[in-house]
Amino acid sequence: MSTPTIVGSLDDEQLPQTARRGRRRRASHHAEASTHHRGPLWTAAGYAGMVLVVLVIAVPLFWILLTSFKERGDIYVRPAQWWPDPVTGQNYRELTTRIPFFDYVRNSVIITSATSVAKIVLGVISAYALSLLRFPGRSVVFLVVIAALMVPNQITVISNYALVAQLGWRNTFQGIIIPLAGVAFGTFLMRNQFLSLPGEIIEAARLDGAGPMKLLWRVVMPMSWPTLVAFALITVVNEWNEYLWPFLMSDDESTAPLPVGLTFLQNNDGVTNWGPVMAGTVLAMLPILVLFLFLQRQMIKGLTAGAVKS
Amino acid sequence: MNEFSRRGFLGLAGAAGVAGLAACAGTGTSPTTGGGGGSSNTIEFWSNHPGNSKPVEQEIIKAFEAANSGLKVKLVDAGKNYEEVAQKFNASLAGGSLPDVVVVSDVTWFNFALNKQLSPLDDLLSSAKIETSDYVDALYNDYNLDDKHYALPYSRSTPLFYYNKDLWKAAGLEDRGPKDWDEFLTWAPKLKAAAGSDKIVMELPDGSNYLDWVFQNMVWGYGGAYSKEWTPTFSDPNTVKAGTYLQNLAKDGYLKLSKDPAPDFTAGIVACSMMSTGSLGGVAKDAKFPVGTAFLPGDGNCPTGGAGVGIPATISDDRKKNALKFIEFLTNAQNTVTFTQATGYMPVRKSAVDLPEEKAFLEKNPNAKTAIEQLPKTRSQDNARVLLPGGGARIGKGLDQIVQGQDVATVFKGLDAESQQVFDSQIKSKLGA
Repeated sequence: MSTPTIVGSLDDEQLPQTARRGRRRRASHHAEASTHHRGPLWTAAGYAGMVLVVLVIAVPLFWILLTSFKERGDIYVRPAQWWPDPVTGQNYRELTTRIPFFDYVRNSVIITSATSVAKIVLGVISAYALSLLRFPGRSVVFLVVIAALMVPNQITVISNYALVAQLGWRNTFQGIIIPLAGVAFGTFLMRNQFLSLPGEIIEAARLDGAGPMKLLWRVVMPMSWPTLVAFALITVVNEWNEYLWPFLMSDDESTAPLPVGLTFLQNNDGVTNWGPVMAGTVLAMLPILVLFLFLQRQMIKGLTAGAVKS
Repeated sequence: MNEFSRRGFLGLAGAAGVAGLAACAGTGTSPTTGGGGGSSNTIEFWSNHPGNSKPVEQEIIKAFEAANSGLKVKLVDAGKNYEEVAQKFNASLAGGSLPDVVVVSDVTWFNFALNKQLSPLDDLLSSAKIETSDYVDALYNDYNLDDKHYALPYSRSTPLFYYNKDLWKAAGLEDRGPKDWDEFLTWAPKLKAAAGSDKIVMELPDGSNYLDWVFQNMVWGYGGAYSKEWTPTFSDPNTVKAGTYLQNLAKDGYLKLSKDPAPDFTAGIVACSMMSTGSLGGVAKDAKFPVGTAFLPGDGNCPTGGAGVGIPATISDDRKKNALKFIEFLTNAQNTVTFTQATGYMPVRKSAVDLPEEKAFLEKNPNAKTAIEQLPKTRSQDNARVLLPGGGARIGKGLDQIVQGQDVATVFKGLDAESQQVFDSQIKSKLGA
C-alpha cells in the first residue's frame, strides 16, 4: 500500500520539474529566436564565415585525398582536376613498395606508444607529488621543472646526441625514446589541474584513510579525466609527428618513424611524384584521426560529468 | 601497494634527481679514439639518396662488397636534403659516432673544410694511386680550398634551359634555345603574343629556391660576377647590367618567380625555364607536350651544382683508407653511369661518355645528351654564393628585391658590403691557417 504513495509523491515532485523544464526550454527557444532576429544579413555573414573556415581547413585535406588517387600525369594539369579520372590505387601500391612503409608504421607505433605512456605516467605522478604531497624543497623542484620547460629541445639536441652516442644507443629504440620521455609540460599542466580540485574532497579522502596511491587513483584521477585526456591527446599527436630527434638518431628503417620515412618519397633534386607522398600522408593521418575522434568523445564526457546533478 | 612511506618517497625523489642531473651532463668527451666506435671494416655511408637513388646506391654497395671481401658498407638515411645531412653530420661531430663517408653539397662542404672537419683528400688519393684527372675538371675543382680537395664529385647537376616546343612553334621560333640573353629579349614578345594572357613566358625559382644559382648564368653572360676570388663584385657595372636585365624581364611581364617552376612548366603554362638537370626525368615523364632542352644562353656560362662525398677528418687512418676506396668505387666511370642514368645527374668522369651503355642511353634520350654536352662548358660557382656562409640566401633575397622593383645598383651595393663583412668576420682569419 505504501508504494503508490511513494510513486505519487515522486510524480508530484517531478511534475513541476518538467513544467519548469518546459518553461526553461521555451525561454531558451525565445532567446535563440531573438538571436536569430539579429537580421538576415548577420545570419548570412555568420554562415559565410563558417563555410569559409570549413573550406580553409577542408579543401587542402580533400586535395591530399584526391591527389592520392590520381595518376601521375593528372596531378599537374590546368584546369585543375577536381575528381581523379581514372581513379587509381597505384600511388598506394607504390608507397608500400618504394619505401618499407610498414616498417616505418611499426616504428612509429612503438616510439609513440612508449614515449606517450612514459610522458603521461611521469607527468601525472610528478604533478601529483608536486601538488598534493608535502615534502621539503617542493617549490624548488617545481621551479626546476618549469625552468626545463623553458628550454626548447632544439638546444639540448646536440648534448643529448653526444650522450646517447656515447652510450652506443644510436639507431636503437631506447636511444630515441628515453631522451624524449622527460616532460615538463605534463607536470605543469597536471599540477595546476590537481591544485584546482576542491581541497575538502582530498581532505575527506585522507580522513577516510586513503593512502597516497589510493588517493591518486580513486579520487584525484577520476576528477581530472578531461585534462588528462587532453594532455594525452596532445602528447600522442606530438610524438607521432616528432621529426628532429628520431631523424638524428635513426639510421635506417629499423628504427626510423613515419615522418622520417615519408621524406624519402620526395625527390630532393628534381621533380617529386606527389601521388605516393599524398597517399603516405593520408595513411599517416588516419590513426591520429581515429584516436582523436575516440578521445574527443571521452573528453566531452569528462567535461560534462558531474556538471549536472542527476 | 598504496602504503608509500614518506622516507621511501624522498629516497626515490633523490634518486630521480641524481638521474636527472646525470642526463644533463654536457657534450661528453670528444671523439679522439677514431671517432666513437666505428669498426674499421664497416664503412658507414651517410647519404640523402640524391634524386631518389637509394636502390641504385644499394646496388653499387652490393657490387663493392662483392669486389672487396672483408669490407662492409652500411648505408644510412641521413636526411631528406643536403642541409639535413649537414645537420646530422654536425651533431655527430659534437658527439662521436662519425660516418666514414658523408654527402656534402656545393654549399655545405666548405664550412666543414674550413673548420678542419673534413679530410683533405689529396694525400690519401696519391697514396692510394687514384688518378683524379679523369674527373670532370670543373666538378673536381669545386671542392678546392688552399690547393687541397675536400670531396669528390658524386651527384652533380647543372641548370638546363627547358622550353615548351608547342609554344615555341606557335611563336614561330626555331627549335633551339637562345644564343644569348639579348636574343631572348627579341623572342620574348613573340612568345608572349603566342602564349596568350594566361600563360607565362619564363618562370624561374624565387630567391629562396636557388634563383641565385641559375642567375649566375645571366651575370656571367654580361661579363659580371658575384665575386672574383674573395672580393665581392656586385657593384661591377656588368653585374648591375645583368641585374637590370632581370628586372626589366619582370617589369615587361615576361618573368614570374615561383617556389618551384617545374609544376607550372609541366602543366604547359610556362614557355621556358632554367631548372636543374635533376628535374629532367620527372618533367619528361609528367609533361603532356614535347619538352625541349638547350644549353644555357651564352658560352661557358653554366654554373655547376649538386653534391660530392667527403671523409671526416677525425676518423682513424685505416677507416679513411677504406672510405676512399669506397668513394673511388662509387664514382668510377661504370658506377657514375649507373647512378646518373637512374637519377638525371651528370656523370662525373670524362671517360663515362665513352662507355657503350652510356652511348646507347644518350641515343635514346636526346635531352640527357644536351646536359652532358653542356658539361665541358660549365664553370665553378662564385665564392660569394657557395663559400661565404649564408651566401645563397643573401643573394637570393637581393634578387627577389630587384625583381620586385627596387633599385638594382642600391641592392647590389648592399650585397657587396654584406658579403665583404661576412668574409672579414668569418672566413678571413681561417684562410691559410
